[in-house]
Amino acid sequence: MFFLVKNLDFIIGNNTILSELNFSLDNGSHLIISGPSGSGKSTLINLMSGLYRPTSGHVSFESNDYSKLTDKDIDEMRAKNFGLIFQRLHLIKHLTVEQNILLGFNKIKLPNIEKLIEDIGLTFKKKQLAKDLSFGESQRVAIARGVVNNPKIIFADEPTSSLDDENTTRVLKLISAQANKNKSSIVISTHDERVKKFFKNILEIKL
Amino acid sequence: MNDLAYIFYSIKSRSLNSSLSVLLTSFGIMIALLLSQFSNHIKNRLDLDGKGIDIVVGAKGSPLQLVLSSIYHIDIPNGNIPYKSALEISKNPLIEKAIPLALGDNWKGYRIVGTSYDYLKHFDVKIDQGRLWNDEFEMVAGADIDVKINQKISGSHGLIDGGGVHDEHTYKIVGSLKRSGTVVDRLLLTSVNSVLEIHGLEDIDHDTEHNHDHKSDQSSDSHHESHRDGKHNHKEKTKYHHEEHVGDHHKDHKDEHHNHKHSEKHENISDKEIININSLQKNKESFKENLNESEITALLIKTNSPIANINLPRSINRETNMQAANPALEITRLTAMLGFGSKTFSILSTLLISIAILSIFSGLAGNLENRMGDLAILRALGYTKQRIFKIIVLEGTLIISFGILLGVIMSFFVFEIFSNLITPLNVSKAKFVLNFDFYFIIIIVLFSGFIASLIPAYNGSKISVANQLSQNI
Repeated sequence: MFFLVKNLDFIIGNNTILSELNFSLDNGSHLIISGPSGSGKSTLINLMSGLYRPTSGHVSFESNDYSKLTDKDIDEMRAKNFGLIFQRLHLIKHLTVEQNILLGFNKIKLPNIEKLIEDIGLTFKKKQLAKDLSFGESQRVAIARGVVNNPKIIFADEPTSSLDDENTTRVLKLISAQANKNKSSIVISTHDERVKKFFKNILEIKL
Repeated sequence: MNDLAYIFYSIKSRSLNSSLSVLLTSFGIMIALLLSQFSNHIKNRLDLDGKGIDIVVGAKGSPLQLVLSSIYHIDIPNGNIPYKSALEISKNPLIEKAIPLALGDNWKGYRIVGTSYDYLKHFDVKIDQGRLWNDEFEMVAGADIDVKINQKISGSHGLIDGGGVHDEHTYKIVGSLKRSGTVVDRLLLTSVNSVLEIHGLEDIDHDTEHNHDHKSDQSSDSHHESHRDGKHNHKEKTKYHHEEHVGDHHKDHKDEHHNHKHSEKHENISDKEIININSLQKNKESFKENLNESEITALLIKTNSPIANINLPRSINRETNMQAANPALEITRLTAMLGFGSKTFSILSTLLISIAILSIFSGLAGNLENRMGDLAILRALGYTKQRIFKIIVLEGTLIISFGILLGVIMSFFVFEIFSNLITPLNVSKAKFVLNFDFYFIIIIVLFSGFIASLIPAYNGSKISVANQLSQNI
């Protein structure tokens, strides 16, 4: 199985965030994790990408059960196979566009970074510091960083939450285009109804 | 992006903070190195110049002054002692070697020292060019003194530059010495007779000016008698000395031909070895005979047993009007007073280095709060805890390495400036030395900086990535 979530529980203190969650994902297929704010969408993304450990249950990628992996194994698996696009973008401000994108690169063969920067339309700003970029430009850099490693799964947490319709379409097309190049799966957490029309598989989480 | 590049940009992004850490480290290491270098230089000079001299005999007064003036040539002498009395002491069976010194004049600040060849032998100094002195008013120059062979110079009164010039007599430079790294490098050496003759031509007030304090000297009566007629008597004595000297060693040296031969003989000596011991001995005996009625400034003594170092000064101080000082004891007192080479320097150096280390620690730990977000991003992108740990430790080590590098460069230049500005360091040719202490300080600071960065590195690698990212704005 490419990606499997089985009997997943996640509890912080007395607060149960996720309970008895079961689903799977095939290689190359996409998934929308939908639900209202506070329903645990971002938590589920963090659990799937290995940033959190489940309270109980199993998460496995390519038959590797996270509960049997060390922190280092999970870090290396994430570096090699996952691309993350954060809701708050999380660019490192004192690095340039190019350097921020290269932070996500963990493989031996250098990517065609010039082509990637061209794809996101920032060729003339590749040496510009991240702190000097507009929000839209920063978002494109965050997407490029998420896909630079040719990941098997792209995790995107609320990528369109603060965008208008035009930019929402642009961002989703950009993510899809990059995913299609590498036949990557996309997992997007969102409460944005506009996103749902782009994807077939939707996992609805309720409060 | 490789880790070193990331560290470089990380340091660059906090340039003010990083610069302060680098500067603190560099100042700490600079002062520690300077203290170490100067104390090491002083200790080496004291050890090297005083090596093999167990007792100094001179006029009554400060024993430290006697040691400093006679061994290190950095103070004025207490006064003079009668040569006859000094000779009596030197016959003591406990004494292995006794070297007479006659001081009083300088040339351009370099001290003119009347002594025997034993002085050169003691310091193992070799002739570089020319030959050793043979006649009165012939002189050899230490390696640091810029003079030419056959150059004629006039000594000035006193032991520092600027006194009245002895125009009546000029010295002739007949040789220059190889560098020995000792006090001899900055001395002009001649026979004892030469120094005494120059001062014998002056009236008695002049001698007083030169600390030849006849009133306080037990020999003053006999000395005054012999000099009562001033120039006349002294000239007679000089003539007698010269004749005896010639008669003793160079019977046929009155014509130029023989003088030439004599020069050749000494040139041969200088080519082969420093001093022919036999000729030295003869010269010494001649010197002793010639100076029966004279005074010298001090007698440097090497004893033949450690017990003699304790007993001999006691008996000299008790039974004569002269003073015997133990150089090792006096220098220990001096270093204890000034504190160099001992606890004061060590404590100060340790304190400064500790401040530098703490600055690195506070710099890294303080910045960690602001950098948690960046570190969480790296962790989320797949950087392992070990890699984050390594990045922070490398960053701390790199900052301290820059600090050390800058500190070493600064200490080198400041050392050079101090060496030129501070006279004792200048005349003793202080050099920056890459010795054990130098490497020890650098390694200790580097290691301490590494240790100081471990705690921030540990904390940085243990962050909760998802929680930290949720706090990032």
